[in-house]
Amino acid sequence: MKGNIFVVTSGKGGVGKTTTTANLGVALARMGKQVALVDADIGLRNLDLVLGLEKRIVYDVVDLAEGRCQPRQALIKDKRLPGLFLMPAAQTKDKESVTEAQMARVVHTLGADFDVVLIDCPAGIEHGFRNAVAGADQAVVVTMPEVSAIRDADRILGMLGSRRARIVVNRVRPEMVKSGDMLSIDDVAEILGREILGVVPDDEEVIDTTNRGQPVALDGSRHLAAIYSTMARRLLGENVPALEVQTDGLWMKLRRIMVGQR
Amino acid sequence: MNNDLREQPEERLALQSPPPTLEAQTETPPQQQAGPAPRIRARGAARERTHTGGRAIVVTSGKGGVGKTTVTANLGAALADAGKRVVVVDADVGLRNLDVVMGLENRVRLHSLDVIEERCTLDEALVRDRIRRSLMLLPAAQNRDKDEIDPEDMLDLVDELQEKFDIVLIDCPAGIEQGFRNAVGGAQEAIVVTTPEVSAVRDADRVAGLLPGDMPARLIINRVRPRLVRKGTMMSVDDVLDILRLDLVGVVPDDREVIVATNRGNPVIDISGSPTGAAIRRIAARLLGEDVPIPDLTAHEPWFARMIGSLRPSRPSAKGS
Repeated sequence: MKGNIFVVTSGKGGVGKTTTTANLGVALARMGKQVALVDADIGLRNLDLVLGLEKRIVYDVVDLAEGRCQPRQALIKDKRLPGLFLMPAAQTKDKESVTEAQMARVVHTLGADFDVVLIDCPAGIEHGFRNAVAGADQAVVVTMPEVSAIRDADRILGMLGSRRARIVVNRVRPEMVKSGDMLSIDDVAEILGREILGVVPDDEEVIDTTNRGQPVALDGSRHLAAIYSTMARRLLGENVPALEVQTDGLWMKLRRIMVGQR
Repeated sequence: MNNDLREQPEERLALQSPPPTLEAQTETPPQQQAGPAPRIRARGAARERTHTGGRAIVVTSGKGGVGKTTVTANLGAALADAGKRVVVVDADVGLRNLDVVMGLENRVRLHSLDVIEERCTLDEALVRDRIRRSLMLLPAAQNRDKDEIDPEDMLDLVDELQEKFDIVLIDCPAGIEQGFRNAVGGAQEAIVVTTPEVSAVRDADRVAGLLPGDMPARLIINRVRPRLVRKGTMMSVDDVLDILRLDLVGVVPDDREVIVATNRGNPVIDISGSPTGAAIRRIAARLLGEDVPIPDLTAHEPWFARMIGSLRPSRPSAKGS
């Protein structure tokens, strides 16, 4: 076992698992890695939308699990980056239609062919979660500096067993941390007691790029892309410090007040 | 499913006493659509209600993190302020959060599974709100599994709650697995919460399709950022309605106050001047049958915002609804 299979999970939904999976995948592919992104959210798939690949799905992970197709038939190649592939979820099936053993077999097959496999886990801790985690060697737990997200992340950490799990603190609003209205990264690290893989600021660009199916990490000139590539390098064991989240300058603060951006 | 309907046609008609506000539930039999994933059995089809109790409304979304729990807690508080006896039910067994959002986590002793498994009575498990006397919470179990409950259990539980409360709000877990089926199994009405993002709208569409055919479903569009809609980078209310075709019951603007209030366990509706709180109070009024118009959040902007906007290089015109 190469230890290159990661599950991206969170417990709570909407904290940014899918966005994190897509952007980490893009960042890894930009580093020249062969990356397979697996959408394990059967019935509520979204990774295809976030990557802008929704129109190209023919076979899906359930077809592969049940032996109706070969891995290369189900994998969708992202034409923007050599080395980036999506294994889509089925939309019209139940999560119960795949077993943990089938899912583990699928990701292990992919793990033999790819440098990195990232599994986008569904929200919750039900069957879909158990499937997504089944074949994973390591975990990336995405959370937000909010009480409920951290509580759920803590619960998930307890369910990941002996797997190495690192934390991505997503949607941080530096100005709110400063004013004491939001938990700081140190608070989160202390509560969860795990290594922080990276910190991502709350940025409306993420919403926009997600809606358009163009992950923000594709554009290397952006600060967010730099954050994701640092995270990708840390994921693979490189010893680089996590990027600090930039605090707004005076002009941005003024604009925020006047435009009423929240 | 259809067999159930055929077995007791007369009893169905005899006992039919639809709640006053539900037009969609009156005459039409449940439309069972053939689909790959079976629809959840409609409450009306599964069992007839013999008492005229309160309304049971499930708050669901498919996608997580769109604001189900925050909406449930605040809507519950707003309905209590409107003079209703309200109970909010946390159906997220194993990942409960409604207690935290309401600031009641230290007062939770028992939970719904204790009631279902008859280790305590319903009254013993209910936790009264810190501020509102007519608002109660039925907590979920944290160390148990959603598979340990089935929709029938939930139905029994909600039936009992409906005898005591005017409104039962059920906070559904994310996803469309057992937890979702349980939460919906106890309800007669649904509120689908979404945000103006493609993935949330897609999931909401999927969930709307999984609700029983005769269950009235209303839509709340949450976390709207008027500025982004004007800029054209966020879907407008019309865009979302074009896709979802559900009965819109409210539009809630994004507000950083929500995070602060939620972390502290305070209701957003208690923050004076909060546009989010005001929007939720309007939704509560609409749910109670009042005719409150839905204001166009993207239309009005202060003069200084307009000025700043006009200085920007490109400014697509505001899309009004």
